[in-house]
Amino acid sequence: MTDLMTPKTPQWWKKPDIKKTFILWIICTAVIGYVGVEFHVRNIVEPASENMSSIISLMRMFTWAAAPVAGLVTAMSLTVLTSKRHYGDNPPAEADHEIRNSPRTAAVWLVVSGLLCLFALIGGLVVLEQENEGVLNTQAIQVNVTGQQWLWNFDYANGARSEDLYLPVNKPVVFHITSVDVKHSFWVVQMGIKMDANPGYTTETAVTPNKIGVFDVRCAELCGLLHAYMQTKVHVVSQADYDAWLSAHAAMEAGA
Amino acid sequence: MTTLTQHTSTAPGKSIIEKLNVLTALALGVISAVVVWRLSLAFLPQDSEEARLFSREDKITLLSMCAWFLGFMTGIGALVGPFRWAMGKDLAHDENMFLAGENMGPKRYFRYTTDHKVVGIQYLFITILIFFLGGGLAMLIRTNLGTPEGGWLHAQAYNSIVGTHGILMIVGTIIMITGPFGNFIMPIMIGARDMAFPRLNALSFWLIVAAAVPLIWGQFIGGITTGWSAYNPLAGQAPLGMDGYIMYICIFAISTMVAGANITTTVVKMRAKGMTWNRTPIFIYGVVASVALALPAFPVFFLSQILSALDRALDTSFYNTAGGGSGWLYENLFWIMGHPEVYVILIPAVAALMEMAPVFTRRPLFSFNIAVLGIAGISGLSVLVWAHHMYISGWAPLLNAPFMLTTELISIPTGMLFLVLIGTLWRGRIWMTMPLMSIFALLWNFMIGGVTGIYLSDVPADAFLHGSMYVTAHFHYTLMGAGLTGALASLVYWFPKMTGRMFDKTLSWIAFWMVQIGFNVAFVGMFLVGLAGQPRRVESYAPTFNTANLVTTIGAYTIMIGMLVLLHGVISSARNGVKAPKNPWQAKTLEWTVDYPIPLENFDVLPVVTTDPYGYGKAKS
Repeated sequence: MTDLMTPKTPQWWKKPDIKKTFILWIICTAVIGYVGVEFHVRNIVEPASENMSSIISLMRMFTWAAAPVAGLVTAMSLTVLTSKRHYGDNPPAEADHEIRNSPRTAAVWLVVSGLLCLFALIGGLVVLEQENEGVLNTQAIQVNVTGQQWLWNFDYANGARSEDLYLPVNKPVVFHITSVDVKHSFWVVQMGIKMDANPGYTTETAVTPNKIGVFDVRCAELCGLLHAYMQTKVHVVSQADYDAWLSAHAAMEAGA
Repeated sequence: MTTLTQHTSTAPGKSIIEKLNVLTALALGVISAVVVWRLSLAFLPQDSEEARLFSREDKITLLSMCAWFLGFMTGIGALVGPFRWAMGKDLAHDENMFLAGENMGPKRYFRYTTDHKVVGIQYLFITILIFFLGGGLAMLIRTNLGTPEGGWLHAQAYNSIVGTHGILMIVGTIIMITGPFGNFIMPIMIGARDMAFPRLNALSFWLIVAAAVPLIWGQFIGGITTGWSAYNPLAGQAPLGMDGYIMYICIFAISTMVAGANITTTVVKMRAKGMTWNRTPIFIYGVVASVALALPAFPVFFLSQILSALDRALDTSFYNTAGGGSGWLYENLFWIMGHPEVYVILIPAVAALMEMAPVFTRRPLFSFNIAVLGIAGISGLSVLVWAHHMYISGWAPLLNAPFMLTTELISIPTGMLFLVLIGTLWRGRIWMTMPLMSIFALLWNFMIGGVTGIYLSDVPADAFLHGSMYVTAHFHYTLMGAGLTGALASLVYWFPKMTGRMFDKTLSWIAFWMVQIGFNVAFVGMFLVGLAGQPRRVESYAPTFNTANLVTTIGAYTIMIGMLVLLHGVISSARNGVKAPKNPWQAKTLEWTVDYPIPLENFDVLPVVTTDPYGYGKAKS
C-alpha cells in the first residue's frame, strides 16, 4: 500500500483526497456564503436608516469573508466523513502515516486568519467612525429620551413631550438618553441604533431616518416585571407633518 | 492496617469524623439558619426612616443564609482539619484513610470524602442534576414562548425562571468537564495518586452543594428576577430572592477558586516521572487553562456580589448613581469575570475532544504546539475583551475600538484550535463512535458560534444585535453547541473508566443525533427572531415572531428528549452495561493502564513516562 503511494504521488495537490476537498471547498464556500448572506438579509428587519443599511452590508461582507474558512473546514470534514469508515467495538488499523505537524500549513493558516481579522477590524472601524461623527452634529434635531419602568418619554427642544416618537424624514437626530430608575436600552429596531439608558447619566446616539413609516422602539435590557411590554412606535413623517405635530404638541403641553 | 480504621483507634476527635455526613450537615445547616433567623428577627433594629425599603429583611435573609452555609460546612466536616491544625496537630494516618473512604462502600459518596475518584463521581452526579433542573427551566421558558402573548407564566415567575436557568447552566457548564473528568480522570492521566490537596478537593464539591440551597431558597422569596447577569441597579430593587443569588455566587466562587488552586498545583507538581510539558496530554492543558482562568475571574465575581449585598442590606451606594456609585461599576466587575468565564467553559471541552481525536483516527495529534499556543492565546486574550459586552452601555465609547480589536484578535487562537482538530481528522482512520462524531458536531456548531461572534464583536452591527435573541442564540452555539457537545463526548469516552462498563452504543447515537439536530433547529430559529428584532428575556412578543419561536420550542423539546435518552443511557449502562476491558479504545494515556475498580491510590508503582501519548500511525503499529 504505502510503497505504491509514495513514488507515484510526487505532488501533493494531485492526491485524490486533495482534489476532492478542493472541489468540495469551492462548493461549500459558495453554499455557505450564499445561504449565510441570504439568511441574514432576508430575515433582518427592513432598513429605515443609513446605519441599518451599513449593518446589513457589513454582515454581507463578513459572511463572504468567513465563508472560505468555514467552507474549508466543512469540505475537509466531508472528505474525512466520506472516506473509509470503521464501525465496530475494536479500533481500526493504525493510520498509514504519523504526521505530527506541518509548519507550512500552520503558517498559512495563521497568516490567513490574521488578515481576515484585520479586514473585519477595518470594516468595523470605518462604519464606527461615520456613526461617531453623527453624535457631534449640532444642526441635528435634539431629542431627550427618558426611560422609566416601563415606558419611554421623548422631550423636544420646544417643550413638546410624548410617549410616541415623531421624527422628520432625512433630518439627522441626536438622542440624549437617560433613565429615572433602572437600566433600560433604547433600541430603534429598523434604524439599527441602540444605546443604554443609565440612571444618573446621559448617553448619546444619532441617526438619520430615511424612510417614511411607523417603526418599533423596544427596550433591549431586562428592566423588571413588564420589560417585554416596554415598547412604543416611532413615526417618521414629512417635514411639514412633523412641524405641524410638533407645534400642536408643544401647545398642548403648554396648555396642560 | 486498612481494616482497623473503624474500631480500634482512640485518637481524640476521630469519632467526630466518623459521625459527620450529609445528613448531619443538612441538620446543622437548617438548625443554624432557623436559629439565626429567629435571633435576627428579634434583635435587629428597625430600619431608619430614610433607609432603602426592606434593608432589614435583606439583612435577616443574608444572615440566615450565611448561618446555613457555616452550619452545613461544619456539619459535613470541613472544619475538622483546620480546627485540628489550629490546635497544632494534624489528622492521623488512619483518619486520613477514613476520610479517603477506604473500604467504606457507597456511603463514601455522602461524606466529606477526599479520594479524587469519589469527588469526580459526586461532581458528575451534581452536574447531571444541574442540567436536569436548568433544562427543565429552559423547557418552561420555551413552552411560555410557544405563543406570542405569553401569560402562561406570571411575568415575575418568568423573569425568575430565565435568571435561574441562566445561572444554573453557567455553573453546570463551568463544572461539567473540570468537575467530573478533571477530578476523576486527570490525576490518573498524569500518573498521580491523588490531587495535591485532597481535603480542598472535597471542600470544592461540598461548597457547591452548600451553594445550591440559597439558590433554591431564593425561588420561594421572590425569585431571581434580574436574569443571570443581575445588573444593578435592577438587582437593588429586586425581591429578597436576589440574596439567594448573591450567596450562591459567593459560595460557588470560593469553590471555583479552591478547585482552581488545587488542580493547578496538582498538574504543576505531581505529574509522573518523565512527563515533561511536551509529553503532557492536551486535555491536561485544557483543564489547567480553564481553572487558571477562573482564578483571576472568580474573585472579581465574588467582590461584585459582596458589593451588591452591601448595597441591599447596609444601604451603601456602590452601584447607586444618586449616592455617588455607578451601575457601570457592576457591569465592569461582572464582565471581567464574565468573559474569561465563557472560555473557562469552552477550553476544556475543546481540549477533551482534542484528546479523543487521535484515539478515534489512529494517528498522532496534529500540531501539539499549535494546540498549546491556541489554548494559551485564548486564555491570555480572554481577560482583555470584557467591555465588548458594554459597547452600547455608554460607559466609554472611546474604548469601543480597542475592545473591538482584542475581541477580533481572539479569533486567531480560536482558529488554531480548529486547525488542530481538522488536521487530526485529516487522513486518519475514522472509527465511527459518538465521541468522534462529536468532533464534527463541535466543528460545525463552533463555526456558527464563531462567525456570528464576529458580527457581534463589530460595534456598529452590535448596535443592532445586542440584547436581541441573536445574542442568546450565539452564546448557546458556543457554550452548548461546542461546550456541551465536548462534555457529552467525554462522558461516553471515559464512562468505562468511571463505571467499569461501556456506555450503550445505540443510546449514545440516539442521544447524539437528537441533541444535535434539536439544537441546530432550536437555535437557528432563535437567530431568525433575533434578526427580526425580538429582544432577549421577554415573556411575550409581537405575533410576527411566532413561527420561528415555535420552531425553537420544537427544537428545544427534541433536545430534551435526547438528553433524557442520554440520562437513561447513563443509568442503564452503569447498572448492566457490557463489562468494559481495561482499555476499550486502545488509547495511550495513563488512565487506561489501571484496572477497574481503580485502587484507592490508583497506582501500586508510579508509572514512568517516556513518550507523549499520541504515538499512533504507521511506525508504531
